[in-house]
Amino acid sequence: MLLVVLLAQIIGLAVQVRRTDSGRNTIDPRDPAGVRLIRLWADAVVTPPEQIFHATKLGSVSLWQNYIDLRHTREQNQELQKTIDRLRLEQASLMEDARQGERLQALLDFQQKYIYKTLAAQAIGSSGNDSSRVFYLDKGSADGLERDMAVITPDGIVGKVREVFPHSAQVLAINDPTSGAGVILETTRTRGILRGDAIGRPQIVGILADQRIQPGEKVLTAGGDLVFPRGLPVGEVVRIAPDPDRDSFIDVTVKPAAHLDRLDEVLVITSTQPRFSAEQQQDMAASVVLKGAEAAAIKQQQKASQIMAERLPGLTDPNAPAPATQPPGQDQAAPPAATAPAAPKLLQPKHPDRFTPGAQPQPPQDKESSATHQAGRNP
Amino acid sequence: MMRVLGADYRRDLGSRSYPLLVYTLAPLTALVLQSWLPRLLHGYTWFDLPLVVTIYFALARRDPIQGTMMGAGMGIFEDALTHHAIGVNGIAKTVAGFLAGSVGVRIDVDNYIIRLMMTFLLSLLCSVIYILVYRVLLGMDQEWRWLEELMKAVGTSAAASILFPLLDRTQIRD
Repeated sequence: MLLVVLLAQIIGLAVQVRRTDSGRNTIDPRDPAGVRLIRLWADAVVTPPEQIFHATKLGSVSLWQNYIDLRHTREQNQELQKTIDRLRLEQASLMEDARQGERLQALLDFQQKYIYKTLAAQAIGSSGNDSSRVFYLDKGSADGLERDMAVITPDGIVGKVREVFPHSAQVLAINDPTSGAGVILETTRTRGILRGDAIGRPQIVGILADQRIQPGEKVLTAGGDLVFPRGLPVGEVVRIAPDPDRDSFIDVTVKPAAHLDRLDEVLVITSTQPRFSAEQQQDMAASVVLKGAEAAAIKQQQKASQIMAERLPGLTDPNAPAPATQPPGQDQAAPPAATAPAAPKLLQPKHPDRFTPGAQPQPPQDKESSATHQAGRNP
Repeated sequence: MMRVLGADYRRDLGSRSYPLLVYTLAPLTALVLQSWLPRLLHGYTWFDLPLVVTIYFALARRDPIQGTMMGAGMGIFEDALTHHAIGVNGIAKTVAGFLAGSVGVRIDVDNYIIRLMMTFLLSLLCSVIYILVYRVLLGMDQEWRWLEELMKAVGTSAAASILFPLLDRTQIRD
């Protein structure tokens, strides 16, 4: 019995393995029909309970976060609003560059793909095996997912859809040894392929040794793998080590920008287009309006300041005569005459009061002195 | 006299039985939890709940054939949830189930320590078979990380120390 079961499985394994052109054995990424059927059954058994567990967990967390633990929400909201305003202004500034880039790309007959449409999905399960870094999403072909779609978070890229089932999908994370993503180092513009090592750390392999590559350098997607659009954050360089197999090559270990072990909600890029989406255009329009409003507000403020500067008396009048000495007997509360503001350009009010520009605060107890002072200062 | 000394007699004497619901739900729960818990534990996968359940039922039933079948089923199911070839875990757990069922005839399965030791050793054996199948049968690269496999065996034994008493409570007593 044991031998029969073992033999059947060995034959099954032989069907799934193929030899590459380089003479190495590999598992066929496109599962045979029988294998896919087994995966489908396994997924059908595991996914529904996982969705229930996940929904329960989300419900509890949501109840706590949205109805009970609301401390600092108002402050956070204000901070977020400020961040949105700041990002809108930054976006408006960058938009001109983007448009110019589009025009230049059109001239060069090269089309940059932008993220056009995304679908939010929840990570609900994993392979349960540390040598297979895949996880499952609660969305599948019924929701429009397809193989090889990019999976990202706002922090950075996560992986690509490997297998799609009707109501779930299997995602191969970027830290799996069999994954591959085209990346580029932000400063040195060195290109390479990102894949995971044996313990699940993403590494850029197959790049020539370069002294300029230093820890801390940002890594972005290069856009050449037909999965990830160009320019998405991947992570940052944490370690550079010589390639053990090839001289003059190095392996660059990358700390992923996305928290691969703590994924909850992810975005699947379901469509990329050589133009901005309607939503993005709406955002940019809002940014332009905001930027225009801000610029107008700044201009208005400057104009008002200028008017006020013209209308209000200055601390010193260039036309004023040399400061006179303080007349004897003047009240101590009154300021010295040298610092008294003069307003030669202003029309004289019919009924000056203490708010009239140039008028001095008058102590009520010394009416005579005050009247003398007022008469002496007003021409 | 021969019947008293024979393995069949000992198997019949010590074999435990469980409700059908337990036979069905325990393996399924183990498979679902094995897939779901790592998401809660931030990627921690140093335990093998399907192996714990396989060993438990193989030891309790004292039946190598049942252990073989359950091990094969659990292993294939686990493989199906990965992106690897289906059958690698299947072969490893088939052997583990068969050995647990065979040893169960000869040892005192009520002894808690012996069952935990069996779990620890069979977990290590599964890891070795997994690597061997990859390297020898499939001719593919698979790094041997002995420390992590050791930690996984410890984690699996720890899980067994919780699950075995729970499953013991479900057995049908005369």
